Amino acid sequence: MSQINNRQAIHYQAQDRECEIFNAAANNKLPVLLKGPTGCGKTRFVEYMAQQLKRPLFTVACHDDLSATDLVGRHLIGANGTHWQDGPLTRAVREGGICYLDEVVEARKDTTVVIHPLTDHRRLLPIDRTGELVEAHPDFMLVVSYNPGYQNLIKGLKPSTRQRFIALEFDYPQAKLEASIICQETGLDTQRAEQLVLLGEEIRRLKDHDLEEGASTRLLIYAAKLMQLSLSTTEACMAALAQPLSDDRDTIKAIERLVNAHF
Amino acid sequence: MEEFIGEVWHKYISAKVATGFPEAALELTHYQSQLSTYFHCLGGDPGKVVEAAEARVLHNHRPLLQRIAGSHRRATLCWQDQRSLRLPPVIDYLPEKTLNETLYFWLAALAAKLPKMSHWFQDNQLATLAILKTHPGLKSCYEKLAKAVVAQRPLIEHLPQKLQSRELAIQQAILNPGSVKSLPLASGEPLFVPLWLYPAPLFDVTNIQAQDDEEQASPSNNSKTETLDTPRKTAQRFDDEKQTDGLLVFKLEALFSWAEQVDMDRSQQEDLDQDLQGAADDLDVITLSRKRKAGSAKVKFDMDLPAPFTDDLYLGPGIKLPEWNYKKRVMLKDFCFLQPMLNHEAVPEKLPNNLKKEANGLKRQFNLLRPLSALQRRQPFGDEIDLDAWLDIKTQPNATLDGENLYLAKKQSERDMSTLVLADLSMSTDSGVTTQQRVVDVIRDSLLLFSEALSACDDPFALYGFSSIKNKQIRFQLLKNFSEIYSDATRGRILAIEPGFYTRMGAAIRQSVSVLKLQKSRQKLLLIISDGKPNDIDHYEGRYGIEDTRQAILEAKRQGIQPFCITIDSQANDYLPFLFGDQGFALVRDIEQLPKLLPKLYLNLTQSI
Repeated sequence: MSQINNRQAIHYQAQDRECEIFNAAANNKLPVLLKGPTGCGKTRFVEYMAQQLKRPLFTVACHDDLSATDLVGRHLIGANGTHWQDGPLTRAVREGGICYLDEVVEARKDTTVVIHPLTDHRRLLPIDRTGELVEAHPDFMLVVSYNPGYQNLIKGLKPSTRQRFIALEFDYPQAKLEASIICQETGLDTQRAEQLVLLGEEIRRLKDHDLEEGASTRLLIYAAKLMQLSLSTTEACMAALAQPLSDDRDTIKAIERLVNAHF
Repeated sequence: MEEFIGEVWHKYISAKVATGFPEAALELTHYQSQLSTYFHCLGGDPGKVVEAAEARVLHNHRPLLQRIAGSHRRATLCWQDQRSLRLPPVIDYLPEKTLNETLYFWLAALAAKLPKMSHWFQDNQLATLAILKTHPGLKSCYEKLAKAVVAQRPLIEHLPQKLQSRELAIQQAILNPGSVKSLPLASGEPLFVPLWLYPAPLFDVTNIQAQDDEEQASPSNNSKTETLDTPRKTAQRFDDEKQTDGLLVFKLEALFSWAEQVDMDRSQQEDLDQDLQGAADDLDVITLSRKRKAGSAKVKFDMDLPAPFTDDLYLGPGIKLPEWNYKKRVMLKDFCFLQPMLNHEAVPEKLPNNLKKEANGLKRQFNLLRPLSALQRRQPFGDEIDLDAWLDIKTQPNATLDGENLYLAKKQSERDMSTLVLADLSMSTDSGVTTQQRVVDVIRDSLLLFSEALSACDDPFALYGFSSIKNKQIRFQLLKNFSEIYSDATRGRILAIEPGFYTRMGAAIRQSVSVLKLQKSRQKLLLIISDGKPNDIDHYEGRYGIEDTRQAILEAKRQGIQPFCITIDSQANDYLPFLFGDQGFALVRDIEQLPKLLPKLYLNLTQSI
């Protein structure tokens, strides 16, 4: 978990009206659900919005062993006996701020117990270990994200949980926007950035067939970064685009062919 | 002697006119999966697979020597239709291996950009231009290829005068795509261009043009029709709907016949397989019947068993099984003879491309069912101390450590289930679902997807198929047993399943139960996929068959096995509740959904038990 405060300005290029919607949700104290594939800018968006709204951000990367205790807090034993340590969610609730639960479906089921009362009109966080009932700070906002590509029969978001959120769907940006993002992030020249985006789009066509997920904007940015170093274009693309996406030799070879067709 | 001289002459003349570079030959099989990925990347229809093309007849100009040798009448053109992209099985046109390799990938790229062709000459040039524009890296490759291809073409001045201008136009179009607008008219077909795509042979190209008004209006239309008209042979659809109800339709004029007497040693000509192959090769036009649904399911044949040498491998001497006679209310001991068998000639195969997407999705889902090594908190004993629990107790002043669960333990798999899938492979599965698919095809796809899914979550499973001919032989096909690992060999066996004879379900269930019984897992599931009632051509039909099957199922339940039936028989509601109980079956109305439903059904079943 991490907390990001105002360091330098974060760049984010809106794909649609998501900034306005997020602002409206923040003003109305509504929780937000972000969905979209890996590396399309969900986390960046939240960081950017937190900076815009001037609220601290508490990011929690959820994993399959993350329980409600990890979010709410626990007792610790120090030199002077035991004391209570707030978890990231409790801190956001008390101090005001955005608590961002990344990949929320991965977390254990008991986390819904703390999410539910926070996401309706009550905006309360019960801490059963200390017997406290914390009322949320007016600036508190809960944001969760998940990747529908991973969604499956076992680990889905329960409808009763989904129904509590405003939902925003993210996808990889349009070609032009994506090229300009790559230029912005890496300083690559427009021509090569556009070519890279074309390549990315073609690789994304393999999703569900040869690849589980297409090349994300993040990977394209990595490739662009490598391309500006002493690496050749092919080397950069192989290292950043082909190898991370697949272990299948034939698929990697085909992607190599494709890279050579572009550059 | 004559024969010998003929052979020598054939060898000599063939070698004399041979083109291509066998030492630089590349086979499609090595590149198939790469090419299909490449093709899909570049925008080729994701449902299309890459396959080898058959040689097609080209009516082009041939030099005298080639005509004498009788060679170069055919070429393996590259073309595509709804189903697949057809590439030459071997490419040896160009002198270097790298060039031939580039040619394969070039054809795949061109095909991705040219899903529909209306003008052979123009479209190929336009598509070439389009690719080179979006993929600048291909430019140098294409230039090399174009030069090499043109170098293999005959010199313009060596051609008959009337063909010269057309050949010149083609060569220019290859070197500078987009530079030549129309193809000059000339007799015959232009010489084969390995760099370009051709229209699909089944398509009547003139029809495509008729639909496309713009093309009609274009000034170069005449010459186009001339070029495009020609390669549309090779196969025709022949509508036999009205003329006959016969099983076999053929045009007599399409068959070769020898009228003159030939002295021939017939004993050496008995190799039927080879002859048939040759006959199919000799026919340039193979007429297909549009009627797919054979009436076989309705006709009751008393079929003989296949001859032993063509049949599958028998496993063991066979097993005698009882059968229930409801009239006499007795179990007829050793009445049925069940023969386990194995299709040992099935070739190991990979999962077909059209199932890949579905299989990948299922695999991902089932992968999550795999017992995770997640730790369970607050256990009375375990490998590690649960610090959270310990802290909890420590922070409560009045708590004692007695009787508290303070350990983390590795989670045990909650699922402990073995599944045996018993597929009905009776004759009725030969009937068509659609024109493309038979019931047995759907069963095959279901078995494949189911296996892919289950192999991802490590649940033990076995697959068997059955059909019967009276009680004298119940054919119990082994597709995969419990101990075998799901592999290409298993897939090959599943892909090779064919409709057999009748459905003596009782005996097959009894045998499955005895196989499943040996499994040590806590839960045992017997999944039966069927398309109809139990029946056989002796007295085993109607109530007799149902009663026997019911007995077999009751026996299974008594042994702690959970039977479940998935059927596509719309009348199944009449008898299935009687056989399997209310909750013991599922009726799949849309059979095409079966492959997708089966794994999901499995999930539901495993959770409900």
